[in-house]
Amino acid sequence: MDNEMTLSFVAVSDNESLARVAITSFVAQLDPTIDELSEFKTIVSEAVSNAIIHGYDEDGKGIVTVHAVRDGDLVSVAVKDNGKGIFDVKKAMEPLFTSKAEMERSGMGFTIMESFADDLQVESEPNVGTVVTFTKKFYSVKMPQIS
Amino acid sequence: MNYEINMHLNEIAVIRLYGELDHHATEKIRTHISKTILQGNLNTIIWNLERLNFMDSSGIGLILGRMRELNTVNGQTIILNPSNTMKKIFQFSGLASFMMTGTEADAILHARGIVNG
Repeated sequence: MDNEMTLSFVAVSDNESLARVAITSFVAQLDPTIDELSEFKTIVSEAVSNAIIHGYDEDGKGIVTVHAVRDGDLVSVAVKDNGKGIFDVKKAMEPLFTSKAEMERSGMGFTIMESFADDLQVESEPNVGTVVTFTKKFYSVKMPQIS
Repeated sequence: MNYEINMHLNEIAVIRLYGELDHHATEKIRTHISKTILQGNLNTIIWNLERLNFMDSSGIGLILGRMRELNTVNGQTIILNPSNTMKKIFQFSGLASFMMTGTEADAILHARGIVNG
């Protein structure tokens, strides 16, 4: 393991950008390409937004934790909340399914996360919380070694 | 997050988005964008994403929501100059056919061609 970080914040939507900024800095040392970085930020943004909106109904009290570990060019991230949980994870992960259509949530969050991550797992228990874990390998732009 | 709306001939709204479009930002701008574009005889929305640095699925919700509002007048939508990552997000969401690369003038001509042709 080369580096590790933990970031915790209350469930308000302002903190979605905080999570993206922190995670962007965390992977900066890998010299990610623009596309790698924006895909990575998108996954984090989707998971954190889900925790804030669905886990806690934006109550401003619940705590969302983003834990990231870097191992070489592989980064693993866990986004955790102790909110209301997902009653049917399989259903929640179907494209276009949303429990908040009135908020114009598109129901594409999990599809996007699964597409951009190398591996994504969702564990959830009603009234206990949800953890979304994913990994992403950074191929980046490798400069030739100067010997 | 910031945006500008320019109306052309009272029919075409060009919306330029700047910065980062996430759930927080869409909640702040949705009502205002919706109110502004529903004035006049709007039949086209052109979303210029050239200066948008980031967008997640909230952007899909925002654009789909306005598409629904345009449905009543058989309006059309053009998504102009999305980044590579945004292109993928639009593809996953079934919006690939609305994307276009070019200038706003190109998009306006394209829109009017469809409307008048």
